[in-house]
Amino acid sequence: MSFSNSITLMFNGLILAIAFSFLLIALWQDARKTLNQFFAVFLLMVMVWNIGSLMAQVFVLLAAPVSSISLVVGIIDLGFTGSAIAIYMLTASLVGLSARHFRPLAFSALGLMVVYQAVLLLRGAPIAYDVSESGAFVYQPQALSVLFYLLFGSTTFFLTWRYRRKIRSKGLVVGIMLFVIGQTIGLLNAELRIVSLSVNLSSLAASIISFAILRKEIITPLSERVAQIEAMHRVSLAITSQIALDTVLNQIAVQAVGWLDADGSAIFLTTPEGLRLATVYNLPRQFIGLQTRSDRSLAGQVANTNQSVYVENYRRDWNGEHDLPLARETFGSVICVPLVYGSAVIGVLMVISGQQGRLFNRDDVHLLELLGGQAAVAIAHSQLFAEQEALTTEVETARSQLETVLASTENPVIAVDRRLRLLMANPSAKQLFGIPDDASGKALSDLIPANALPSDFREALRNLRRSRTHIYEIQVDSRVYLCHLARLGGPRTTGWVAVLNDITQLKELDRLKSEMVRMTSHDLKNPLQAAMANLELLRDDLREKVTQEAEESIAAVAKQLERMNRIINGTLDLERIRTGAIRSDVCRAVDIVESAVDELRQMAAEGQVSLNYSVTDDNLEFLGDSEQIKRALVNLVENGIKFTAPGGSVHVSVEPGVNSVIMMVRDTGIGIPPELQSRIFERFFRGQQAGTEHISGSGLGLSLVKAVAENHGGSVWLESQPGIGSTFYLSLPTLIKRPPAAAKHAAIETLSNPV
Amino acid sequence: MKVLIVDDEPAIRDALGRKLRRENFEVVLCGDGLDGLRAFHAERPDIVVLDIVMPGGMDGLTVCRRIREVADTPVMMLSAQAITEDDIIEGLNAGADEYLIKPIGLNEFVARIQALLRRVQIGMSETEQGYNDGYLNIDLHRRHVYVDGRRIHLTPTEFKLLAVLLENAGRVVPQRLLLEQVWGHEYIDDVYYPRVYISQLRRKIEPDAANPTYILTEHRVGYRFEKQTPAFPKVD
Repeated sequence: MSFSNSITLMFNGLILAIAFSFLLIALWQDARKTLNQFFAVFLLMVMVWNIGSLMAQVFVLLAAPVSSISLVVGIIDLGFTGSAIAIYMLTASLVGLSARHFRPLAFSALGLMVVYQAVLLLRGAPIAYDVSESGAFVYQPQALSVLFYLLFGSTTFFLTWRYRRKIRSKGLVVGIMLFVIGQTIGLLNAELRIVSLSVNLSSLAASIISFAILRKEIITPLSERVAQIEAMHRVSLAITSQIALDTVLNQIAVQAVGWLDADGSAIFLTTPEGLRLATVYNLPRQFIGLQTRSDRSLAGQVANTNQSVYVENYRRDWNGEHDLPLARETFGSVICVPLVYGSAVIGVLMVISGQQGRLFNRDDVHLLELLGGQAAVAIAHSQLFAEQEALTTEVETARSQLETVLASTENPVIAVDRRLRLLMANPSAKQLFGIPDDASGKALSDLIPANALPSDFREALRNLRRSRTHIYEIQVDSRVYLCHLARLGGPRTTGWVAVLNDITQLKELDRLKSEMVRMTSHDLKNPLQAAMANLELLRDDLREKVTQEAEESIAAVAKQLERMNRIINGTLDLERIRTGAIRSDVCRAVDIVESAVDELRQMAAEGQVSLNYSVTDDNLEFLGDSEQIKRALVNLVENGIKFTAPGGSVHVSVEPGVNSVIMMVRDTGIGIPPELQSRIFERFFRGQQAGTEHISGSGLGLSLVKAVAENHGGSVWLESQPGIGSTFYLSLPTLIKRPPAAAKHAAIETLSNPV
Repeated sequence: MKVLIVDDEPAIRDALGRKLRRENFEVVLCGDGLDGLRAFHAERPDIVVLDIVMPGGMDGLTVCRRIREVADTPVMMLSAQAITEDDIIEGLNAGADEYLIKPIGLNEFVARIQALLRRVQIGMSETEQGYNDGYLNIDLHRRHVYVDGRRIHLTPTEFKLLAVLLENAGRVVPQRLLLEQVWGHEYIDDVYYPRVYISQLRRKIEPDAANPTYILTEHRVGYRFEKQTPAFPKVD
């Protein structure tokens, strides 16, 4: 026995022990993993081969019978060919080359080979071996083994070289190649005496492979997990510190690249117009802001389908539109994951490996999805934060604008909360009531005089609820203010705001106007009385002494005087109704209609106009000034009679409305052209219509009706067709106290429409 | 019948005067309040017609009050200044029996004068016994009214109103009937007359005008005189 043989024996035993322990570790770690299973088979085959070699040596030394040698050679053949197949299976598994049912196919190939060897043994096929002079066992493999080897060994070699980048472990690449080379050496001519070298080399390669697999499957994942946790920690930090959106995005881009050992990354954010490139890492920064509308780009598709996509080779595998300029020319492996917050895709994270860079795998996709989840939260929070800040700024701006407006207006403005504590008073209000600057939160009653508050709170609240505003008059330091109350807050009242208008001057003007109307009317009435009285005396004096023409002239003068009297009375009536206090009687609709109609029966009879009325409900009652309402109704009926030709009719009716009473006066008169309809309620307006020249009137009757309606918080309108007739409607609220504001409104309106 | 007309406007004064003379009235004309008051004392007219707004220190209302201090002579206001019902009520409160608004037709003016005079005369010809419960004593014959033993002064219209109510004691007298009987059928639409006079009367005869016991209001219908249980012996 030579020295080298003993070395070989020892070495083989050692390698076997190491390989066996590695096998145990790998299987213990995860026996169900395909890679581990193939690895186990590979090691088993290598062991078979080694054991065969070992036994061959031993048998030669012991000069064992030929039959034993044959068995050993069979074992060697099995081990040699089996390990060639197994290394191929292992490699194919490593580079991810897997057909359907690859595993059963591979195992059945192996089984077939074992059966073949067994058959060979049983049949006692001739075996080519020799024992050298030095006692070494020399063996020449069978032709079929060589064929198997050539088939699997060369494919393995090719796959390893082709996918060396994908394998990502130099140890594995070197080990596999070394193994294939070792087996090749075993195929060389036995005469070269290098069979043992082949076995040794292969054993060494097997131990290298074992170590590399151990490293790849156990050691590296462990250290990577630590790195992942650290990366996750950094991302979480970026999230919780709630920094600006740009920083968060940048952080995510950097982390993603570092984590996946990639070359660059990009983050797209969803906007109403499509995806916008928000940040890049290791890509040209001028791309930022690019907008992709298309769903056909990779990022677009990911955003659309909410599914991660892994493209091994962008140029080769991606057929859609390219995501960035020059992407096709520069991108290698690409992973794209959606960033989902809630149920919405808020963006897309894309991690890119250059064409010479690393190839990603499925695990990387899962990792990136993990990061994507965190990133989405971070981005969403940053966006919310940014939006909230923008909103705060906006609110602040609006607030300061409002404050400026309130500070610059001369109208005092006061806002209070639900418990009547001061929220805000503008400088005018502070000056008017002497409110100190630090009064915010104090009770309103301590800050302003009692007469500045609404006299009837319940009524004020009712008005606010019904018409969203309440208006009342207050007097402060001999000045009169009109106070407009309005509600603060959304659906629920949070307070009230009061805006004061100084109407002192308006009130004074109004008073002067009323005074003037009274004076003028009075001064006109005396001459009128004198003229009328004297005309009557003159008529008596001239009775039966006067010509027909003179009689007509006197009649004309009398008629004109009478007309002047009507105008004066109309003016005074209107003034009285607009400015006077109105009573709150319980009015029975039927009484008012009856008395108005009674008053005009004579006139209707003279004009040969039939006048009648109908009231649906005799008990219809409402609150109002019965005298005023009767006047209004009389004016409407009188109007109807005047403009209705003999033979026509005027009909008065009353119907209950929604919270109102509607009085209708329908005539069959000449009607009112549409262009005049909007003006007939104006004071002194008399429509210049054909056929009305002979009809006398003051032009004040309808404006009085309107004033009465407004005084009661009601309204008046009409429907009319020229030649057919008109219907006037007077609507008055039922059983509702008249809002006191109405009278003031009327007063102010009077000022804006001076007589 | 003698009529005193006080008006600062000569054209009106003269026209009214001429008309009344044609109707066989005796007429005295004055141009201001003070003159008018003097003429009242000097001429002892049967009826006075007063303008309200007049130059000089004395307006028609004042003249009317001064007349009422001494006499029951019927007074008629004839004014251009009647903007609101309050103006009319103020005139009636001053003691006027009648408030006419200018301009008024001469025939109507004469008719009103005659109605007012008729009212006073009818009041005198009443022959009822009167009423006495110890607190309120009404002597229709002598036209005297005593409250709690003191004689009080009523204008002719007030007295007439009280007489009509007493005549219908216990029954409601509708407003229009009241207007017709007290003032005359020309006044049938002047609904504020009874209101003013009733409150005037209550002030004079009721123990508490705010809670009347003699003259009760029947809402929207009219008024009713209610006799009280006698509380003798408190006789004049």
